[in-house]
Amino acid sequence: MNRILEDVIHKNAATVERITSENTAGYVVADNTANAVAETSFDNTGAQAIVKHLHGVLVSSCQSVIRDLDPTNKLCFLRVATRKFEYLVAPEDYFTITVVQ
Amino acid sequence: MSAEVEEMLKRFQALKNVVGIIVIDNDGIPIKTTLDNTLSVHYAATMQTLREKARQVVLDLDGTNEFTALRMRTLYHEVMLCPKDDYFIVVIQKPCE
Repeated sequence: MNRILEDVIHKNAATVERITSENTAGYVVADNTANAVAETSFDNTGAQAIVKHLHGVLVSSCQSVIRDLDPTNKLCFLRVATRKFEYLVAPEDYFTITVVQ
Repeated sequence: MSAEVEEMLKRFQALKNVVGIIVIDNDGIPIKTTLDNTLSVHYAATMQTLREKARQVVLDLDGTNEFTALRMRTLYHEVMLCPKDDYFIVVIQKPCE
């Protein structure tokens, strides 16, 4: 699973550079199955653990809310706006990407 | 004040992509809605729990930060949740591609 993730990350290195050169605070790529952080631009390991919190609680509750309202529907993207930042969360099958801007 | 609110709702509803607007008070009861009642109540209940969870998550991530909006993009719609002091608004729209 990690090898697949690394492949994907290497292939998208140019995209990652473009995204991080704009006004982002950072990004986190997490592995869904292990619920662990795969890649991040944050230096603070505490921040990584906290973003796991975001993935675990918020993404799964949003997904269940969407399915509850319509069983054929599914969550494609999530944007949490706060006063300081905006978290862009993209859950995929194997991994979840979060960008903070 | 309520005339302005009506007018704003009408304006938003007239936008081509908007499917529905629900204004929900703090007890989880939809006070104004453009969708039918059962659907609104269903949305109100689920969005209420989601709003609480999102508020908790943002507070946990940073105690000084505040949750201002949530946007969920799904296959068929885009659902936007905007909490205010004594109520919150849910707007469902068709995403423009």
